[in-house]
Amino acid sequence: MSNRTSRGPLPIDLFLRGSALSYLTLMVVVPLTALSIEALKPGWDPFWQALTDPFAWHALKLTFATAFIMVLINAVMGTATAWVLVRCEFPGKGIMNALIDVPFAVPTVVTGLMLVALYGPSSVLGSFLGRHGWAVIYQQPGIVLALLFVSYPFVIRSVQPVLLEIDPAEEEAAATLGAGTFTTFRRVTFPALWPSILTGTALSFSRALGEFGSVIMVAGNRPLQTKTGPMYIFGEIESGNPHGAMVVSVVLLAFSLGILIVLNLLQRQGRHIHGH
Amino acid sequence: MGRGTPTKPKRRRSLIRFGACCIASSFLTWLSGCLPAQGVYAGADTLTIGAYSVVRDALREKILPGFAAHWKAKTGRRVRFEESYNASGAQSRAIASGFDADVAILSLEGDVERLVKAGLVEPNWKDGPHQGLVTRSLVVIGVRPGNPLKLQGWEDLERPGIGVLYPDPKTSGGAKWNINAIYGSAMLEDREHPNLQAGFERLAKVQANVLNMDSSGRQSMATFERGTGDAVVTYENELLLQQKRKGVATPYVIPDSTLQIEGPVAIVESSVRQHGNREVAEAFLDYLRQDEAQRIFAEYGFRALDSRLDPPDRMPLPQKLFTIAELGGWKEINQKVYGPGGLWDALFTGKKGGKP
Repeated sequence: MSNRTSRGPLPIDLFLRGSALSYLTLMVVVPLTALSIEALKPGWDPFWQALTDPFAWHALKLTFATAFIMVLINAVMGTATAWVLVRCEFPGKGIMNALIDVPFAVPTVVTGLMLVALYGPSSVLGSFLGRHGWAVIYQQPGIVLALLFVSYPFVIRSVQPVLLEIDPAEEEAAATLGAGTFTTFRRVTFPALWPSILTGTALSFSRALGEFGSVIMVAGNRPLQTKTGPMYIFGEIESGNPHGAMVVSVVLLAFSLGILIVLNLLQRQGRHIHGH
Repeated sequence: MGRGTPTKPKRRRSLIRFGACCIASSFLTWLSGCLPAQGVYAGADTLTIGAYSVVRDALREKILPGFAAHWKAKTGRRVRFEESYNASGAQSRAIASGFDADVAILSLEGDVERLVKAGLVEPNWKDGPHQGLVTRSLVVIGVRPGNPLKLQGWEDLERPGIGVLYPDPKTSGGAKWNINAIYGSAMLEDREHPNLQAGFERLAKVQANVLNMDSSGRQSMATFERGTGDAVVTYENELLLQQKRKGVATPYVIPDSTLQIEGPVAIVESSVRQHGNREVAEAFLDYLRQDEAQRIFAEYGFRALDSRLDPPDRMPLPQKLFTIAELGGWKEINQKVYGPGGLWDALFTGKKGGKP
């Protein structure tokens, strides 16, 4: 790669670069720009008004709050799962490894249906929880549950390969020097892992901001209670308020984009610190 | 081509055969597309119908054949139908953006008004018989078998702890019927002195009991059938049609005071002008309101415009049946109840009457 750049890019490189860029522009940049222009066309005041509409504002807050809770759980559980998959040997590990990606293959509406069947008010578990004031489905916890399911593989799949590359000898050395399991993890493993944990959580977070199919099945869709951003967007489009819908879409998009950009910067930094 | 490698040529041959079949069948389809023009449908009138999904069975199975016979008897001519069925709002949007239906059968006045606004339907479409209506139904309460909670009317849905279902009016135009029935029943307690505040208070209490607001009436029913909730606010014809199709149905109660659901029909002027079939379109609209078609609609769960045509086993109409007109008409309702800062928003924000 390095000696090729010293000779200048080959024509084939230029061609590939050009096609990749045009493809990106066509598939991602143009639609997003069009959306942003449409949302901002009437000007800043209407934009601000649409954003601070109590229903829009609440929907956005709920989306971010549920995504945040999901991300915290996923960061811990995803890292732990990746750890188990890499460092432990047990029968059925192959199957477990294969099962992890299943949430990506399940249509999100099916996810919602499944969660309703399992935890819904008419299910055994759901009615038990409901009687004890722990209703999940058609309440906010249901949203977190759906988000956890649809973004399950992200953290695991980004941590796993990094963990595989870490030499267990470093951890063993720490252990022989008298460090406990937790200290070893905190001082030796975690510093190498955190960029990948961050990647996984950021991807889950972005994914969660736009999640619609599963959430609409489990949330209950009650305004100012359980209506998330994407559901608000859907409702406003259907009821003839495309501008309100686009403003909320643009905010969700901007956050997704921001998260991914910050993530890229952090990773670059992480690579500088840990690069050899 | 030796015996050792039979798979490859065989596969190729079957591929060729498959390709030939494809070409032949597409050619045949093309031919058959031409045939009616010269064959059975020579000189036939064509009528394109854009309808909402719920009337499909009634139209397909009885009404269209009925009209074809009627038209044949009257004029000696055949009629060929092109049919499209979709959710009412989607159908209306499809017609507004170019689908050339001659006749629009929809579930909401607003969906016809969209066509008026697009310049496709005459603004005076409601001046004809029955104010443009062709079907009627009632807003009812679907309950669990045996009605264990003894739900009889809207006031029962205010009781704390009752799980209620109806769709979101933001995504389901039909949900507005349900919600109008709930607040209207309290608002029109005394017909002489409509009291919107009383309606608001009832709706607030019922809404507090709502578990889940699905995006369409169908999905709301599906949620109820999956076991969620104690009551589903829905249309009588939906439940009766389901009974006709599946043999089993959700039991329901008709509140003493409930709203009449009115389904409009209109001729799409731009299409009949383009197709030159105004005569048959007008005859079809006329037929839809004749006893024969009204009996068929009733058989498929609707209430006939003349209730004497309803099947004898149908529950009697409620005593205090009210109409959209008594609630102020759709225009006023859409503005005061569902518009920005309207009654519906105020249910959640608590800020009532944001707009005069």
